Amino acid sequence: MEKIVIIGGGMGGAIAHDLALRGFSVVVVEKGELCCGSTGRHHGLLHSGARYALHDVATAAECMTENRILRTIAHQAVEQNDGLFVALDDADLAHYKPFIRTCNAAKIPYRELRVDEARRMEPELSPTIKAAVQVPDATMDAWRLAMHFFASARANGADIRPFSEVVGLLANNGAITGVEVRDHQRQATYVEKADMVVNATGPWAGKIAALLDIHLPMKPSPGVMVSMQPRLVGMVINRLHPAGEGDIVVPQRNQSILGTTAWIADDPDEVMLPAEHVKQMIELCAQMLPQLAHLPVVAAWSASRPLLVSAAEADPTKISRASQVIDHALTDGVEGLLSVVGGKATTMRAMAQKVVDRVCAKTGREIPCTTGHTVLKHYRRFFWR
Amino acid sequence: MSSFQIKISRFKPSIIDPPAFFSYELTPDADWTVLDALEQIRIHQEPSLMYRRACHHASCGTCACTINGVEGLACKTKLADLGTQAITLEALHCFQRIGDLVTVRSTLFQFMHPDWSCLQPDDKRDNHDFLLSGDGRAITKFENCIECGCCVSACPVARKNRHFLGPAVLSAINREKKKNPSTENDLLSLAAAPDGEPSCQRALVCSRVCPTGVYPAKHIAELRNQRKRTGNTA
Repeated sequence: MEKIVIIGGGMGGAIAHDLALRGFSVVVVEKGELCCGSTGRHHGLLHSGARYALHDVATAAECMTENRILRTIAHQAVEQNDGLFVALDDADLAHYKPFIRTCNAAKIPYRELRVDEARRMEPELSPTIKAAVQVPDATMDAWRLAMHFFASARANGADIRPFSEVVGLLANNGAITGVEVRDHQRQATYVEKADMVVNATGPWAGKIAALLDIHLPMKPSPGVMVSMQPRLVGMVINRLHPAGEGDIVVPQRNQSILGTTAWIADDPDEVMLPAEHVKQMIELCAQMLPQLAHLPVVAAWSASRPLLVSAAEADPTKISRASQVIDHALTDGVEGLLSVVGGKATTMRAMAQKVVDRVCAKTGREIPCTTGHTVLKHYRRFFWR
Repeated sequence: MSSFQIKISRFKPSIIDPPAFFSYELTPDADWTVLDALEQIRIHQEPSLMYRRACHHASCGTCACTINGVEGLACKTKLADLGTQAITLEALHCFQRIGDLVTVRSTLFQFMHPDWSCLQPDDKRDNHDFLLSGDGRAITKFENCIECGCCVSACPVARKNRHFLGPAVLSAINREKKKNPSTENDLLSLAAAPDGEPSCQRALVCSRVCPTGVYPAKHIAELRNQRKRTGNTA
């Protein structure tokens, strides 16, 4: 069968898994350690979709579908803990009814709680909260979820190569023929032939496309996260308002992880950590969990969302988080190159399905996707030889 | 801050072989971690530098290395807290090294069985009705152990005896048998084998270097006490 080279060892694992299950020959190249880009360093929220309910019902519904699937196929990568949306003031309360309405529309199960009930479940919640809704959010382990996909892909024959950086895309007569790879271990550059290439490098996708002078209007939209100790809550705590900044606390192990901010940057390699964002986030999240104002910081870091920037929307929190598969034969006259952009870790399996459906269509094959009900190998099996 | 000297033990099979120290100079911001320094060295000075990283907040365990001789996570160790501007970074001991600071922890996972659960009940929380399962299962959270390998690398027994199960696996055994009592006899036998808990010399460095508070030495002591109580030997 056709040989597909995937560039990017983040969600590339989910694509490799799907391709391998459908019988393709698969190579994944990643310039650093697997998951060293955006896939490995998000705050670890397995979305119920409720975060997007107020402004993007389609994305919300897709999150809920994938949430159910990931709990089943990778249950060791997910805490069983649920989430709460809390309203803090009258402005938040104005969103309460639309929130419930759109949760229904997106088929997100929920439970409306009395304020005293919510505070009994999570005693660290601010005594001033005005409403609370329970949703099936969960905490996931970013690294372990992605490694479940890599472990499964490798078990089915995919060749996974970390520390292998793509430095060139090779094309002949307008069709991709392979990639040029810098092997950082052997300090040598080689050519890997391919029938098709999938650019799954997230915020780096524009840089990869530029190797063939293709313009992809990709911008990294970094967000700052702060982890503090100890864990204050069992459940994920969200502020009930349209997605904004400093409005989520994801508990993980013994940490409380605060998120996030959003801006548009130019270069994903040069994203800095603005100190004022850290301060602002702690202040905002402490409105939900007052104790956060007094906790020590374990780490503060940023991760870049991979956003396709249109001229029409300048506010990064409003740009759609839906994923897109771009076929460069249609947009740029280059046959055999797909780029996958946008999206989020919760929907990585569905994104991979979209990519591989397109690979099948382009190679004239009709092979159904089975990743939705194929239980993944435990991530430890990636290392367990 | 003023300039820091970062000395990195580098290794590339048959290229930088045997391993050799290379020095890099940089002027960090006040809040930089060791991982930030590695990223800046790779981007601006040495593109072929190999090190592992993913989560950036002590949750994935990939960036473990030795920092001035002591095992730790690069992502949560601030340069300013090291008390010196001369920093030496080396790969973990006990594991196969494939390049620079990168080790493959297959030997850890060889004994850490995939069937052992990564989740534990969250005792501090009231259980509640879950929206999806509805079966009243306990609220769970991830085990503190992030399988970084720091405890194994620091253990004087593991450094000499590659068959020793090691502190990470022994503490996983002790946790798993509590969560899953039907496996207790088998797991106790595994732990009581000559290369298991009886090989531990109680150096306690495993607990000192553990970046996530697992305290492996405490788990090993529990296994030892249980063996003595029950007379369970392999």
